[in-house]
Amino acid sequence: MTAHSGRVAGRTSGQWLALPPRLAAAGRLLRLELRRSAMLWMIPVAAALFWYNAFRESMAEPALWNLRAMTMQHGVLLDFAPPVVGAAAWMGSRDGRRHLLDLIATVPRPRWVTQLATWAAVTCWALVAYCCCVGVLYAETARQAHWGGPIWWPAIVGAAGIPALSAVGFAAGAWFPSRFTVPVVTVGAFFALGFSAQPRPPQWQVSPTIADSSFIGPDAGMGTFYHYLPDLAIAQVICLVGVAATALGAFGLLDRGSGRWLRGIASSMIVVGIAAVATAAGLAGTGRLDPHGMLVIPALHDAANNRPISYTPVCDQASIPICLNPAYAAYLADVRQALTPLLGELAGLPGAPRSVGQVAPLYAGPQTSGPSGTGVVINDGPHGGGPGQFDFVLPSQLPGEPGVGTSVGQFVRQIRQGAATDLLSGVVVGGGPGGETQAQRAVVAALTLDAGAAVSSRGVITPPADSAVGAAAQRFAALPASVRRTWLATHLTALRAGRITLAQLP
Amino acid sequence: MPALRLVRLHLASRRVTAALATVAACALTLHIALQWSWDTYGALQLPLILEVGCAAAIGITMGSPFGEPERATGRWLPLLRLGSAIAMTATAVAALALASIGAHLAGGIAEVVRNIAGLVGIGLLCALLLGGSLAWTGPVVYMLVGAYGLYTDWHPPTLTSPWIWPARPPHDLGAALCAAAVFAAGIAAATWRGARESP
Repeated sequence: MTAHSGRVAGRTSGQWLALPPRLAAAGRLLRLELRRSAMLWMIPVAAALFWYNAFRESMAEPALWNLRAMTMQHGVLLDFAPPVVGAAAWMGSRDGRRHLLDLIATVPRPRWVTQLATWAAVTCWALVAYCCCVGVLYAETARQAHWGGPIWWPAIVGAAGIPALSAVGFAAGAWFPSRFTVPVVTVGAFFALGFSAQPRPPQWQVSPTIADSSFIGPDAGMGTFYHYLPDLAIAQVICLVGVAATALGAFGLLDRGSGRWLRGIASSMIVVGIAAVATAAGLAGTGRLDPHGMLVIPALHDAANNRPISYTPVCDQASIPICLNPAYAAYLADVRQALTPLLGELAGLPGAPRSVGQVAPLYAGPQTSGPSGTGVVINDGPHGGGPGQFDFVLPSQLPGEPGVGTSVGQFVRQIRQGAATDLLSGVVVGGGPGGETQAQRAVVAALTLDAGAAVSSRGVITPPADSAVGAAAQRFAALPASVRRTWLATHLTALRAGRITLAQLP
Repeated sequence: MPALRLVRLHLASRRVTAALATVAACALTLHIALQWSWDTYGALQLPLILEVGCAAAIGITMGSPFGEPERATGRWLPLLRLGSAIAMTATAVAALALASIGAHLAGGIAEVVRNIAGLVGIGLLCALLLGGSLAWTGPVVYMLVGAYGLYTDWHPPTLTSPWIWPARPPHDLGAALCAAAVFAAGIAAATWRGARESP
């Protein structure tokens, strides 16, 4: 009735004059539905849920684009599902709940077309809310991040999920216009999204709540040194488009009064939609973990994305400068604190590094890790810096990252202990003939002890004190630093060549 | 018997059959889902989601199709509302408990009782404020609060308020008291007023 009121007709006659009549009528219908959509009232609810869950969780991550975007993708559709599906189901069941179906059947326009306008209005408002919420998160991240730019694929997957969610809710409401439909389909959609995010066969990776390999989770090393791979996101978007097409086609079949061609279109949409979902799940099932932590789907993979991202490292001003990827600039002081004792042991010695750099971690897996499941091993990357350069990998858990709650002190210890063996062995042992000698082991152990890095994640790396090597290490470590340094400066070449025995150590 | 007939008609007018079908569907879903593998917080979130489905259905049954005439003439209406709310809550608890037989239900029956009681209380209060047809909104929104609360038990900072009772262990006294208080308030609201009449 409102559509024929004078006020609306008067406004539309001028505004839609330039458009073809059919398009103008569709525009008027959409405009009416936009004004009356229940989703409008759900926007504050969606925003509050987004803030409570996805926003707070994402912002708790360090200011790295990859961590924030991937964490956002994990939660955003779970936050939007209840309000969007609920509002869509409410609007879809409107005519049935108000017993208007017979009245609606008398209008000249096919019911499917009018329902599409109602669905489009719900979707428009939901997308507006989604864009605002994600926009705030990305704007805040842009303000805090030291380097890099927005990673759009997680946001695109979420945006593709909104029409799919609203279509599912709308179809359920249109098919079953009962007061119980709305909560059932709302809870059902949330359940389905949550269920799909659980550890499942690889085909389930097509779930839009999964942004990365389920064996790793959001990790700072992904998408930082190498491009963020869109393979999985593309498969997810295909799946969501398929879900939306299936649901839109499903409520098209409700309109028994429409012509054969409309029902044909609706049926085709269902078939195409189901095929898209099956294809996307199949593609996701072929995904494999690449060495840089992302999922590669061969059929969707663009080899150009395998190239590393070029960047200018951020370095500190010291005699042995430490250079990091600019995304990690905030951690430069922590790394300096971690490596200073180790570098201090080696400063001025022949073969000591002239600079320290950061390399990308390498991801290997999934590998069975005990009876309960699988995991991924994060290894050091290639140390390709050449002579005089020491490269290392930062720990995967950064300070401030939620979950394990690594403190700055723990982060510093992890770096120091992780780098100790490689750094000290590289100088003391080098590429000497015949492998590591006992004297070399004792010196490395002594320097490790002195630098406060005696225990690593791989266990105690100093030999037992009651062994000959351990005793020599303790003795060497107990020397004054100046004496030790003088001895090393004189004898390091011989030590590396394997010409110094354990007994010759001071 | 007139009393039984009154009860039957009251339940029929509140679409209790559909609500019971919803509760049964939730129990069946729980039973099937428990056969799958879940991670630690997923295993705790799973029953919560289905408890919300039950609580939303119970809240919706508060809506009356008769409105003022029924209020004016129904002497037994408060008692009928009280009885149906309590009976439906007990039925939901029993259904989910039955569904978990032969499988591991994270949190156990004690958590099911606490969560359903609190969620039903929210649903009944929503029915009073928003009407029967919108009574589901409260439990559904609280579902997200509770599910995220559970998630933060593994991903700090943890939400520790007893008002987010699904995130607390099953024998936590504060959480049980909060859920019980909300349930009592909801039952009192249902008994006194029922659901707000929809326009």
